[in-house]
Amino acid sequence: MAEETLGFQYSTLQQERETVTLGMWAFLATEVLFFGALIAAYFSYRIWFGAEFIAAAKMTKVALGTANTAVLLTSSACMAMAVTTHEAGSRRAPVLWLTATALLGLSFVVIKGTEWFLEYQEHLVPALNFDLARHGGVAEIFFIFYFCATGLHALHLLIGICLVCWLAFAIGTGRLKPGSTTRLIGLYWHFVDIVWIFLFPLIYLAGRNG
Amino acid sequence: MSAGTICRCWLALLILLALTTGSAFIPLGTANLFVSLGIAVTKALIVLLFFMELKTSSALVRVFAAAGFFWLMIMIALTTADYTHRTDQRVPLDQVR
Repeated sequence: MAEETLGFQYSTLQQERETVTLGMWAFLATEVLFFGALIAAYFSYRIWFGAEFIAAAKMTKVALGTANTAVLLTSSACMAMAVTTHEAGSRRAPVLWLTATALLGLSFVVIKGTEWFLEYQEHLVPALNFDLARHGGVAEIFFIFYFCATGLHALHLLIGICLVCWLAFAIGTGRLKPGSTTRLIGLYWHFVDIVWIFLFPLIYLAGRNG
Repeated sequence: MSAGTICRCWLALLILLALTTGSAFIPLGTANLFVSLGIAVTKALIVLLFFMELKTSSALVRVFAAAGFFWLMIMIALTTADYTHRTDQRVPLDQVR
């Protein structure tokens, strides 16, 4: 990818930068609605089922969830550092920051996987081994939401990790010069972070003092 | 964006995370939900304005960014308004099966 040369459809670098940023935000707006539908479903369940739904949320692992939020927020800061250092013209620094970002992203997935495993052991996975007699139907609805939301989020994160690895490789080998690509992948990564910022209180913090 | 700004944002995000997790264990009733959502919005704004550079973006980019959240607000507001005002009886889920 030749980043220094201007795409034929643009007249200035500034115009290219504006256009690709706008395109990325248009995509992210569709993603807001995609995850937003899940969150709207959460609120309607929460209103409809009330205390039973909130009690189910209490079965999630709040310590692991909080640690995971810290990991993801830190990965976003690393991503921002990668974008800044790459735009400043450095080659080594962004590769190191991107590696940190990818490793933190991977840690998130590993912690998430651990949680899923613990939930499997507690018979909380709908369609696999959900113990209806023990946990009740409303809890099953909560965990259907939980696995859809965290699963789709983890899928987005895995795509992000692949993009970040490719980016680190492309910058490291000198194939990618400073340009818009790093910023666009950065926008995607931060967006995945924002989704988690909202999922975290809804899933993990509901009914903690009841 | 300077490294100092990124560092300050990161610290602010972690402090807000500690606050939101801590607040969840204090009994405040329904206020718990609004406190945690308020903190989530603050965290999201830090990420949006600084990490995603909306603070220095053009007005057009900001409008695109706001559009998704604006429609989301409509969806959530109308859905929750509907569900909070339903008066019909709910059959307990376990009896349906």
